[in-house]
Amino acid sequence: MNSLLQFLSARWTGIGSAIAWILAYFFARGFLEGDHASQGLRLVVALVPIFPFAIFLGAVLTGIREMDELHRRVHLEALAIAFPLTMLLLMLLGLIELVMPLSPEDWSYRHVWQFLPLFYFIGLAFRWRRYQ
Amino acid sequence: MKNRLKVLRAERDWSQADLADQLNVSRQTVNAIETEKYDPSLPLVFKIAELFGKKIEDIFTPDGER
Repeated sequence: MNSLLQFLSARWTGIGSAIAWILAYFFARGFLEGDHASQGLRLVVALVPIFPFAIFLGAVLTGIREMDELHRRVHLEALAIAFPLTMLLLMLLGLIELVMPLSPEDWSYRHVWQFLPLFYFIGLAFRWRRYQ
Repeated sequence: MKNRLKVLRAERDWSQADLADQLNVSRQTVNAIETEKYDPSLPLVFKIAELFGKKIEDIFTPDGER
């Protein structure tokens, strides 16, 4: 019963902090796109998502410690796919930028980071298929 | 690596979930070992051998050996 409560608590911490992180990101983005405050305050707001993210990261690490060896392996292999894909994306964007200007409305850092979890989930789905 | 896990489990009339519980791993892990898609770690191999009361080489054999 105690371990079940710990398990659920870790899951809810992870889900809750992930939601808080996404909300903090959109709050910060909306605030900063408004451009109506001092630079100091804007910098503080830009750093706000760090706090829920730190909790999220802690929950992820707890979750990884609780996984069995196959699950850990699948996540490691997903990262092994996501990391080179991230490098490839950044490299290609850099090269394409030499060919033509990329619109910051489409290809700024605030858009590109969203590809990274996508690559990770693609890697996860791809590797799980191997072991099923 | 080949193994006799499915046979040994069936002899005891255990489901994959039963075996997974006793080994403290997920059912997917037991399935992946049985279908030889995943080679378990040495600590898990020892645990499996102890659970079935057999030597490791009675359960697991390297690829290419009978």
